[in-house]
Amino acid sequence: MIEARNLKKTYHTKVKKGLFKREKDIVEAVKGIHLKLEKGQIIGLLGINGAGKTTTIKMLSTLIKATSGEILVDGVEINENPLKIKQKVNMIAGGERMIYWRLTGRENLWYYGQLYGIPDKVLKTRIDRLLTLVGLNEKQNVPVERYSKGMKQRLQIARGLINDPDYLFMDEPTLGLDAPIAREIRTYIKKLAIEEQKGILLTSHYINEVEALCDYIYILDHGEVILEGTAKTLSESTFETKITVLELAEMNSEIEASMQRFAVEENAIIHRSPDAYLIRFESKNELTEALVKRIHSENLPLSKLYVEAPKLEDTIIEISRRVNS
Amino acid sequence: MFIKSIKATFIRDWITQLRAYPMHFFIGNVLTVFYTVLGAFFMYHLLFQGHLKASFEQYTGTSDYMTYVIIGSLAYALVVRTLLNVSRSLITELRQGTLESLMLAPFSRIGYFIGNMLQQTITSLGEVFLSMIFCLIFGLSVGTINGVTFVVSLVMTLYAYFGLSLCLGAIMLYTRDTYISQNTLFLFIFLVSGVIFPVEYLPKYLNVIGASLPVRDSIVILRAAVMDGVTIESLSPIYLRLFLLGTGYFVVGYSAIKKIERIALEKIFG
Repeated sequence: MIEARNLKKTYHTKVKKGLFKREKDIVEAVKGIHLKLEKGQIIGLLGINGAGKTTTIKMLSTLIKATSGEILVDGVEINENPLKIKQKVNMIAGGERMIYWRLTGRENLWYYGQLYGIPDKVLKTRIDRLLTLVGLNEKQNVPVERYSKGMKQRLQIARGLINDPDYLFMDEPTLGLDAPIAREIRTYIKKLAIEEQKGILLTSHYINEVEALCDYIYILDHGEVILEGTAKTLSESTFETKITVLELAEMNSEIEASMQRFAVEENAIIHRSPDAYLIRFESKNELTEALVKRIHSENLPLSKLYVEAPKLEDTIIEISRRVNS
Repeated sequence: MFIKSIKATFIRDWITQLRAYPMHFFIGNVLTVFYTVLGAFFMYHLLFQGHLKASFEQYTGTSDYMTYVIIGSLAYALVVRTLLNVSRSLITELRQGTLESLMLAPFSRIGYFIGNMLQQTITSLGEVFLSMIFCLIFGLSVGTINGVTFVVSLVMTLYAYFGLSLCLGAIMLYTRDTYISQNTLFLFIFLVSGVIFPVEYLPKYLNVIGASLPVRDSIVILRAAVMDGVTIESLSPIYLRLFLLGTGYFVVGYSAIKKIERIALEKIFG
């Protein structure tokens, strides 16, 4: 397990003021983050304003040192033996960086494999397996500069797996990719966690991606975790009301009047949809049970009845609205 | 890990060079030496009409100006090519977006730089030896060369340049500049290291600064091996000085580069 405790990062920067004058500035990028990542788990980092996601990933992956706080990787403090920790972690970033364009796909993987000190026989088998995993077998001997965006991104995933890491940090892994390729990559990510038991930390601007992949989500704002939980618990803690949706097979003024009365009795707000047969009740409690009773007693032509969970996107928009106000 | 880093970086750079740099790049480098020597040839024969001040022979121990200039120019070409490549390696990684993926790996830094330098040294030596062939036309005399001293001098030269290149690499990575730092330094090296004239002609203060760079001593030992055919023993005080200078630059450069790597990684996204 990776555990970050009270992680802080402060940057000392210089801001240009005129031609020769420079002023020192202190930026607190991360202000005391706590997080946990277990093997086989996918956690998401979502940010609102200058959240500190990338800085957090860089600290967790040994690229930069935290100003204070502690990172434990399988119980070992990250600064105690960074070389050993580097064998256990890797990072994949979106875009077309982190690979050598002049080398072929296979040469890239070979080079990185050598830098990790992987024995030649093991490395050869692993490269073959990874090229198959990311579907680049046929293009393995083509220089990367001739790859498409999606192929480069797939090669990046293979590079990130070259040391067979226990933990993988993915910073915007589907950035700028076409929808079918992004979906393909999401499938790989899920597979890596489920089949290969990799602990994955994911950041993405695509909230649907985070919702679909992550078991647990941390929401960061200005370097702090302001909320954490599963997509469901996040929405529960964000929204005070619940939406119960009723879909009827037919609608008339009598039924409509009955539903209005029901809303008043239950202290709920009615939201009529453009679809005349669909009514949304917004209330503090779930209204499923009460609605079932009403439908039964008035013999209403029920089509569907369910509680509508807010999407993660709605949750983030709501949190963002609150933070900004 | 050390050997693997050397081997991998050497092969990576070799493939990249073969794939990315066409033959005319190689020829271009040879031509640089050609033009420098040609300029010196014209000045010596047409402007000075083969006349040298008596002090030249007194300072250099030879009256063979063309061989003096040619060895100086070839050594300078070797400095520029090897020094430049090693010092530019990390900023090139930064520019092409591979610095982070490289730093994620537990590789040997020294191995990485040595691999880089070895590859470049082989290419540069190829260029230098090719240049030597046409330099024979301009009067290069290698009849008295002491092969063993030459090889030892070359190894000592590369050792000293390696340390210097780490220092320059740290400056480049910190300032994120290659053009100003490399060109300023190389012009200065050309001026103070006795490439085309004896350093005794320089003002004293420039002489002192020039002595702090290993290039001057490396040119002295390469010239001594080729022109005078001296033994290793007679050059041992200079070897020792060069070793100490190179080690000094290595210690400073290596510790600086470790710190600046982190700063560079912090700066990538800020």
